[in-house]
Amino acid sequence: MQLAVNIAVLAAIYALIACGYVLIYRVSRVLNLAHGELMMLAAYLLLSTASMFSGHPVAALAASLVLAIAVGVMVYVFLMRKMTGEQVLAAVLATVALGILLRGVMVLVWSAQQQYPAQALGWVNASLPVPGGARISVAAAALVACTTLVYGSLFAFLRFSRWGIRMRAAGQNPLLAAQRGIGLHGIYALAWALATFTGGIAGMLIALDSGLDQTMVVIGLKAFPAALVGGLDSLLGALLGALVIAAAEVLLIHYVDPLLSDVVPFLVLIAMLVVRPWGLLGTREELDRV
Amino acid sequence: MKLLQRGRRFALAAALAAGAATGAPAMAQDAYVVGISAALTGPAAATYAPVIDAMRAYADHVNGKGGVNGKPIRLVILDNQGEPSKAAADAKKLLSQDNVILLVNSSLSSTYAPMIAESRRAKVPLLYAGAVCPKETYPPADPLQFCTTSFGAQYDSQLAMGFVKDNAKEPPRIGFSAMAIPISRGEIEFAEELARKMGMGTTSKEIIPPPTPDYTPFATKLKDGGSNWVYSWAPWVTQVRTFEALRRLGWNGRYIAYAHIQAEDELARIKDPELHVFGANAFVRDDLPVHAEIRAATVRANLPYPVTQLTEGFIAGLALEAALKATPWPATPAKVLAAMNNLKVDMKGLRGGPLEWTKDNHFRTRQYYRVYRWDPARNAVVQVKDWTALDVR
Repeated sequence: MQLAVNIAVLAAIYALIACGYVLIYRVSRVLNLAHGELMMLAAYLLLSTASMFSGHPVAALAASLVLAIAVGVMVYVFLMRKMTGEQVLAAVLATVALGILLRGVMVLVWSAQQQYPAQALGWVNASLPVPGGARISVAAAALVACTTLVYGSLFAFLRFSRWGIRMRAAGQNPLLAAQRGIGLHGIYALAWALATFTGGIAGMLIALDSGLDQTMVVIGLKAFPAALVGGLDSLLGALLGALVIAAAEVLLIHYVDPLLSDVVPFLVLIAMLVVRPWGLLGTREELDRV
Repeated sequence: MKLLQRGRRFALAAALAAGAATGAPAMAQDAYVVGISAALTGPAAATYAPVIDAMRAYADHVNGKGGVNGKPIRLVILDNQGEPSKAAADAKKLLSQDNVILLVNSSLSSTYAPMIAESRRAKVPLLYAGAVCPKETYPPADPLQFCTTSFGAQYDSQLAMGFVKDNAKEPPRIGFSAMAIPISRGEIEFAEELARKMGMGTTSKEIIPPPTPDYTPFATKLKDGGSNWVYSWAPWVTQVRTFEALRRLGWNGRYIAYAHIQAEDELARIKDPELHVFGANAFVRDDLPVHAEIRAATVRANLPYPVTQLTEGFIAGLALEAALKATPWPATPAKVLAAMNNLKVDMKGLRGGPLEWTKDNHFRTRQYYRVYRWDPARNAVVQVKDWTALDVR
């Protein structure tokens, strides 16, 4: 049972991070290689709001989530919007540069030392029993719950809401969408805001579970294969990809060799690229376009 | 005020990014110029940046008292982000442009090779400060490599395994945890072998890749293996996150790990009486007179790190000062090397004895350890075992 819980938690981490990659790619065809940094920035923002709203953890969490959304919008308005009309590669390189800048700024503002937002919030990450003799930490349980909630909300938003439908339209054919009166800049800004919001939730919950330091950037990158395996333009695919990679990782750690956990996401990715390059649920047309 | 502090840090970082130094550029040498390449940013920065900040604060402290032999110490600090290619570029710049008389590395072991190559080419000694001591500093030592860092492969595990054997309430079944980097893996394999030789049972050995989003799968295996002790020798992040994951799984065994610079604060944060840390540096709770000096230097330099994390850098500063004091002016790399080959540094209680280098031993002649843990009754970090010495041969 503990193995199943471990798979669920790891899959939730990867899925929550991967949906940020998918949201931006699906709408604007840009691979956001600063996603790990934006996720880490949200976690550091939580650290700051925790000290600002001392004794009010809910207010601190809410404030940091609002700030994460604001960061996403600002990244689009002040950086990615300028990339409109440029080659996709230029936009991707802009995200790389943004990542480097953010890493430097975060060290300067919050220093390189290990931080514990949970401690700053005065919150104890207790361990909960799970039926079957397994255990899960409160933060890890929150990760699973948030991932479920985020994906459920995103599916409903994209399928039923006016802005969600506009977002899908802009992703499918931006020119046609613009001609139909859809404001592309608003849609793209929304995609960046949502991606930073979901990545931010992941960053905050990981930091609440096990602390926060500069290595979180790499965790952001580790979720990238999940998005690719699932299909870069499919949210359901990201969920499935995260589950496949998390299961492979946890089972190999337990039954074969823990060292394989580092390479298995990429082994699965290579296998997928050979067999089905557009991913489990990705659109074949996307590959042709690339 | 905070904004002002951040502004100052930003200015310093901008200067570092531009490859400048803490001080005027080195042209005609009017100071002891020491070149540092360190992981000041990047994933490993939490371990190394406080060491360099403390060294800088110590150098300022020495310069404030008139310097060494009437000359100031000038540290040229460059950020290698833990990347070998950047370390190579740093070493080249420090040797060819800044004409440093000593190189210092405080970074991941993957950055050693390019710096060693440059150090050999220029015949400039290389000091490891806060970075793991390579075996080339052990007897018989490489002529150019020296180390002040507290932890030392093989000696650390001898102390840890001995402690487990002496303090086990029931026959020990030890699980092992390492980070997937050669130095950590090698040490854990050595410890596993040593435990068996000492007649103790071993269970599983988890080699954990850095970084890992969730340590629970590794902890699950350690718990399921039936370990009643777990020994970890790895960067702090791996040691502590494995321990916390074990506790969240309901494991109630005992844990021993190396006391890296974060350990003292972390014991107080975790408050678990069965988490033992052993290390070669005295904790600030020991409240030695030298700790007041470190505190004062920290305040003067306005460092962003807690004083508990600065001992390692302060010790490197003590060794640097002693080496330069024994280097007659005008200083050259050869003179520094001669001084370092015959050096005995008073550690002022920060270690169990003096740091002594000889021509054949650039690590230390004796390695001393203390063991600490959290005591719930006293609500404080306490000493479990006082200085224990191991001869370095």
